[in-house]
Amino acid sequence: MSDAVSVERARGLALPRFLTADSPVPWLLPITAMLTVFGLYPLGYSIWLSLHKRNVLTRQLDFAGGYQWVKAFSDARMWGALETTLLYTFVALALQLVLGILIALLLDTDRRGYGVLRAMMTLPLVVPPAVTGMMFLLMQDGSFGVLSFYLYALDLVSPARPLLTQPHTALIAVMLADIWQWTPFMVLIMLAGLRSLPKDPFEAAAIDGASAVQTFFRLTLPMLRKVIAVAVLIRGVDLFRIYDYVYIITAGGPGTATETLSFYAGRIYFTGDFPYAATLSLIVLIVLIVVSNIFVRVFKVRF
Amino acid sequence: MSLKDHDKKTFIVDACNDFTAKRLTKRDFMRRMAMAGVGFSAFNAGLLGGGRKRGGLLGLGPDEAQAQDADMLKWLADVGKPYAGTKIRYTSEATPPSIVANQLVAGEFTKATGIEVEVEIVPLEQVLAKATQDVQGQLGTYDLYYLDQSWMATFSQDVIDPREYYDQNKELAMPGFDWDDFSKPLVDGIAMYNGKQCGIPFDIPIFILMYRKDLFDKHNIAVPKDLDEYLKVVQQMTEAEKGNGIFGTACQAKSGHYSLECDWTFALWGHGGSIFNKDKMFVGNDEQGVTGLKFYQELVKNSPPSATTWTWDGQGQALTQGAAAMAITWGEDFPGFDANDSKVKGLFEALPAPKEVPGRRAAADCGFNEIPAVGHQGGSAIALSQYSKNKEAAWLFMQWVCSKDVMARVSTLGGGASPMRNSSFTDPRVKEKAVVGPGTTRHFDAIKWTIDNQMGSEPDMPIWADLSNNDIPVELGKLLTGQDYNGDAKACLDAIGKIVDGKVADAGLR
Amino acid sequence: MEPTFFQKRLRDVVAVIVVAIFMFPIAWWALSSIKPYSAIFDRSGPVYVDFTPTPDNYRVTLLGVSRVQIGMEQGGDAAGVIKGGANSYDSRQSLADSAIIAVGSTIVTLFLATLAAYCLSRMQFVGQQSFLFWILSQRFMPPIAMVIPIVFMFRDLGLRDTYLGLILVHTLINLPLAVLLLKSFFDDVPREIDEAAMIDGATRAQTFYKIVLPMVKGGIAAAAVLCFIFSWTEFLLSLFLTTEIRTVPVKISTFVTSTATEWGYITALGTSAIVPSFIFILLVQRHLVRGLTLGSLKD
Repeated sequence: MSDAVSVERARGLALPRFLTADSPVPWLLPITAMLTVFGLYPLGYSIWLSLHKRNVLTRQLDFAGGYQWVKAFSDARMWGALETTLLYTFVALALQLVLGILIALLLDTDRRGYGVLRAMMTLPLVVPPAVTGMMFLLMQDGSFGVLSFYLYALDLVSPARPLLTQPHTALIAVMLADIWQWTPFMVLIMLAGLRSLPKDPFEAAAIDGASAVQTFFRLTLPMLRKVIAVAVLIRGVDLFRIYDYVYIITAGGPGTATETLSFYAGRIYFTGDFPYAATLSLIVLIVLIVVSNIFVRVFKVRF
Repeated sequence: MSLKDHDKKTFIVDACNDFTAKRLTKRDFMRRMAMAGVGFSAFNAGLLGGGRKRGGLLGLGPDEAQAQDADMLKWLADVGKPYAGTKIRYTSEATPPSIVANQLVAGEFTKATGIEVEVEIVPLEQVLAKATQDVQGQLGTYDLYYLDQSWMATFSQDVIDPREYYDQNKELAMPGFDWDDFSKPLVDGIAMYNGKQCGIPFDIPIFILMYRKDLFDKHNIAVPKDLDEYLKVVQQMTEAEKGNGIFGTACQAKSGHYSLECDWTFALWGHGGSIFNKDKMFVGNDEQGVTGLKFYQELVKNSPPSATTWTWDGQGQALTQGAAAMAITWGEDFPGFDANDSKVKGLFEALPAPKEVPGRRAAADCGFNEIPAVGHQGGSAIALSQYSKNKEAAWLFMQWVCSKDVMARVSTLGGGASPMRNSSFTDPRVKEKAVVGPGTTRHFDAIKWTIDNQMGSEPDMPIWADLSNNDIPVELGKLLTGQDYNGDAKACLDAIGKIVDGKVADAGLR
Repeated sequence: MEPTFFQKRLRDVVAVIVVAIFMFPIAWWALSSIKPYSAIFDRSGPVYVDFTPTPDNYRVTLLGVSRVQIGMEQGGDAAGVIKGGANSYDSRQSLADSAIIAVGSTIVTLFLATLAAYCLSRMQFVGQQSFLFWILSQRFMPPIAMVIPIVFMFRDLGLRDTYLGLILVHTLINLPLAVLLLKSFFDDVPREIDEAAMIDGATRAQTFYKIVLPMVKGGIAAAAVLCFIFSWTEFLLSLFLTTEIRTVPVKISTFVTSTATEWGYITALGTSAIVPSFIFILLVQRHLVRGLTLGSLKD
């Protein structure tokens, strides 16, 4: 209220209104400048690249209009990568969400020792993803990986077909690393949500004789809606862009079973076809913008 | 350079000379070096001889270890004076020549010339990525490039012909460099593209046969003479030793990795096939090609299951740990078998690979300078960048690291990495190490013969890096892991053909 | 319904098991860093305690002992030891590089983000939600797509392979989350406080700096920790934008050589890299939990 009033009164001052500390401009200028330079420029350059074609003989970039885009959309491998990425995103997200909620419920109590447990639970988050990838690579190795040993012992996997060599199981292997590292993230968010819930409705439900399951589905979950929405948004975006784990654990293999869109773009980038790599990256970007926009509207996420 | 610096450099070089000529004891030498502010790592100090073991750290006599070419160092010191203080960089794979160069450069080259060298050692894919990035923007971040032979076409316009540079810059030309000393097949196979020499051959991993003599003797198996016999022996060995956890062979069949492409070309060429024909069309899917791939599928079946996730280092590790009885692969692995912590020390022998069946396709029938032969080579060259801001300093380093003396020592110090120069093969230091033990050179005969007689080279064309990394090994991977093609070799090769032909046409190369 | 004694104990057991499962990979990793290679690569089964621990991996990576010397100590030949290797395994410089960049980018991020977050929290203006979405969408760009343009830009600006360059890039990536996070903390501070201060004669800037900012210390701590962790663990851009500066993740990746993957040094450096971040997290854990919801708890 007072802001609106002061806007009116300040008109006519010597110093332009928008430069004083009462206007958003100076506060937001540094960050806008930073994001424009470092955010808009790469975006613009990528778009520019995607409209060109690399001439291998002269190494010039010739204008090519929609050539790369047509190529991308008719590239079966691109669609395969997109499919793999979507599969990966949805499955990992669902698992992380469910596990996150369950573990948060488990650890949400003030009893002694649980503080330590919660602190330990955050440890996976601080491991560099590059290291996580190597951790799981070591554990999943077919000949001497500890995880492989357990799987063989439990007869879930045969030693003749180790986890990382089969197209069907390789994606699971990569997901394991992601789930291990990021479920704690979900746990933390859910814990925050749980702790901020008001006590009264739960007491009322207890008095009414509701079971734990009923309480959970009818009360807890709906009240956590917003928290879940934000968590899903952030994690979903990161999962879709996944690169590090794939690079280290399987390098897109076996075949193309774990080749995500970002990884495919990376391959193309490494061998020098920058325009096509830029195009593929833009596809990732577009998908993310579209889907997250829809998501924000549907779930009414406000920041 | 100030007078003081000049004196210091002279002092250092003189001390080196005195030490080499045995006018100084090691202790006095070290003391003088310390006075001049020159430190020695334990390694370099050990190189000077007089270590705990007899004959110095490396089993070399004090004479050999100290035979750093004093004349060359003096020349370098003179010529390098104006460039002291510059820093040159290059990025390389962790192959022995670069590693050893890295160890020696501070104590020798930098001390003599004042030029610092920063070697960025990273996995091969990153080397390619960084070089690609550098030339795209002509950044000049790297003064020298370590270029795999399969990238020569891609980078040929970014490098300077070393022979031309040598002839044009007489004042910087190292005396006694001896261009003819370089193995001609290596120069042709690695460093030439379209008549231009792009660099100096630097390392030569090449396919030879390495096998467990003890296991062969145990089962009374004769060394196979051609690839048909080889396959039979592999299968026989798997049958016999599977119970002991030993497979017939080990492949580097990682899906989507260049290593799989290397294995495939060896199988392809070994059965009379080729990748391209005279008309630059893909013919890897013809009759010989299909036979070759079926052969390879059998090899993979006789490898440990994780072979489809291994590149050359996984394969090497498997052999060193005794998980496989033989392999036709990079000779570079061989010294590792004799390492002190190896389970198979002294048990491996090396021979040129068994002959092609039914024979080789003539190089004249192939496109893009492809040379089919069973000894697949993956050599690399060191090249001078057009965009370097320190060309002269980089050129001095390049000559030093490729000089007769340094290359001979690289062969012995670098754990038995195969030489580029004919003189290195006959150098007494190298011959002395032809015994069982770390850094062995007893496989050099096999390597030399292979270089001279059955060296196979991949096609030279600008998009080869793309095809051999992103397309061919990915489709092959799908076949070998069962993701697609249902085990049908021909279907897979046909698919590869479509992709390759399409890309070649698209790039205007046909 | 008060949970029974049995139910409570059951919950405890399950909680401990779950946390133990999550701790296992790290424990295994740290264990591997003191194992000799024979214990890591034993193909007959996992080796838990049946080995003699060796400090060699740490000696090489953290204490700068040369591999060659270790080889000599083991009675081996230096030549055999050199068969594979990165530039050097001495990682102390890497740890320092990573620390400088992480701390630097955290400071810059916090500076920019607190200004923006305060403004977004206090001043409503048209298009605010869209502006926020734009900030968040910076995160959508796959890092791969950013590499080439930024490499060119940096070369022209002379920022390539500098601490400043990498700090700026990390800041760019950290900003979205930092702004959102801090805004939610600022939202928690009632507007009345601002108004009271300004009625008292303080300018907007003074209100921000002297009154409100100190009240969100917890939030700033949480944001700082997240920024630090992200920068400390970032891989792709650090790989392409540096040559001499080697952050820890990049350094670890160089331990995969053409002749072998040096698991010993990888596990040692990896374990060392976890320690600083974990300490930070412990210190600010309370605030971290609260802040991660990004204000969505408010309706």
